[in-house]
Amino acid sequence: MELEAAEALKGAIALVGYGLAAIGPGIGIGIVAGSAIEAMARQPEAAGIARTTMFLGIAFTEALALIGFVLFFIA
Amino acid sequence: MELILASAECDPAHDIICAPSDVNELFEFREAIFSLGPFPITRTVFLILGIAVIVSAVLFFGLRKKALVPGKFQTIVESIIEFVRDGIAIEIIGEHGAKYAPWLLSIFLFVLVGNLYEVTPFINFPVTSRMALPLMLAVITWVIFVIAGIKRQGLGYFLGIVWPKSVPMALRPLVGLIEFFSILLLRPLTLAIRLFANLVAGHLMLTLLLVSGWVFISSVGDIGARAGIGVAWFTMGLGIYMFEIVVIMLQAYIFTLLSAVYVQTSLYPDH
Amino acid sequence: MNLAWTVIVAQEVEQISEEGSSGAALLLPAPEELIAGIIAFGIIFAVVWKFALPALQATIEKRQDAVRMNLEAAEKAKVEAESLLLDYRAQVAGAKGEASDIVAEARDAGEAVKADIIARAEVEADQIKVRAGEEIVSERERAEADLRRQVADLSIDVAERVVGSTLDADAQRDLVDRYIDELGGVQ
Repeated sequence: MELEAAEALKGAIALVGYGLAAIGPGIGIGIVAGSAIEAMARQPEAAGIARTTMFLGIAFTEALALIGFVLFFIA
Repeated sequence: MELILASAECDPAHDIICAPSDVNELFEFREAIFSLGPFPITRTVFLILGIAVIVSAVLFFGLRKKALVPGKFQTIVESIIEFVRDGIAIEIIGEHGAKYAPWLLSIFLFVLVGNLYEVTPFINFPVTSRMALPLMLAVITWVIFVIAGIKRQGLGYFLGIVWPKSVPMALRPLVGLIEFFSILLLRPLTLAIRLFANLVAGHLMLTLLLVSGWVFISSVGDIGARAGIGVAWFTMGLGIYMFEIVVIMLQAYIFTLLSAVYVQTSLYPDH
Repeated sequence: MNLAWTVIVAQEVEQISEEGSSGAALLLPAPEELIAGIIAFGIIFAVVWKFALPALQATIEKRQDAVRMNLEAAEKAKVEAESLLLDYRAQVAGAKGEASDIVAEARDAGEAVKADIIARAEVEADQIKVRAGEEIVSERERAEADLRRQVADLSIDVAERVVGSTLDADAQRDLVDRYIDELGGVQ
């Protein structure tokens, strides 16, 4: 029975883990997007490059959150 | 609706707070319509093949006339193709971009239609939330950007990854190791999982909000107070529905964009 | 967490032990879906590669050709119109010159006619005047002759009555005539 209880808690713990994993990327994506908007506002003619680079930066930052997401399912 | 209320313990009339016993029930339709050898032909399989039918039909009817002054439909189809070819392939990859346009356009249309199933009434199921499709697309992207790198730089492509010239000597083994994992493993994985995760999350939110909202509303006769909660949830579900349409387009765009960027970085590693 | 929930969880745990991790199953590609996906992607790629992009390219080229042809036609029409305009301008200028020539000619002709008419009228008036003078002269001569004859006759009558018809009439008439001539000469 104790083992079953531990098994039942495992999902909840994984959920907390995912939440923790999402903190860093959340802040990171915020910084990336904020900087990109700043760059676009400062140099609207370079908005295309800034947007592409922003998506790329978000993609790299997001990787950690995505790994957390996967681990949540695997756990 | 039977999906979420599959388990016998969860009777909406008596026990509203119920959850699917297994999250897979929202995503799997394993009951085969018929079987082909060892493979069950499920609803999902038909939806996946439907993507090909829909995309081919749209392209065919959109471009068949080749009218000088395009109609509304032809304009839309042409602008989608030009958006991917000029806005993604050529803009990101550069002068050789047009060569990769067919592949990028296929990815974009495939993902877009696969995603759009999520908000299509009566289908309401994004086939791209099945790991098979994002994984397949990511593997294709991986193969293409590795081949592009090898074709461009020979085996120096791998050497450039594990022994990057642009960082100080002392850091090279460490950065090389990170780069190796990042480029050859994490890139395709995150590419696949990003699409998968977004669509899974979207589908979960829509299903939970809309279905549970509906369940609450339909229980008006039993418990009046719950109907209010149901209306709130249903409204929120509709808001998320609009949000999901944006997410769908954005994810198709990002998948295509990142595929192009990955090819670009293996063609021109210094940039 | 009520009892039903725990029962569900327990069932789930059983499922996990049977099929492996339930959540992870979501992350594993189903083979039939993978195959369907490859087929669908292959079809889409073939359609895009062999039909869509060439068709779009053809349409764009057709459009470019049409635009170019229209521009060329417009250019040609413009050149033609300009040459036509020049022609018309030249024609109009010619016509204007001709018109002013005609007007000048007409004016000259009118003047000539006018001068001719005046000259002729003057000539006629002179002729009329001359003729009138001649007529007046001849009338006077005739009247003088009449008067002379009548005076002579009268004088002879008077003299006959005085002398009594002895005198030769012709000789007497000559005498009278001479006398009158002398008178006329005196006058």
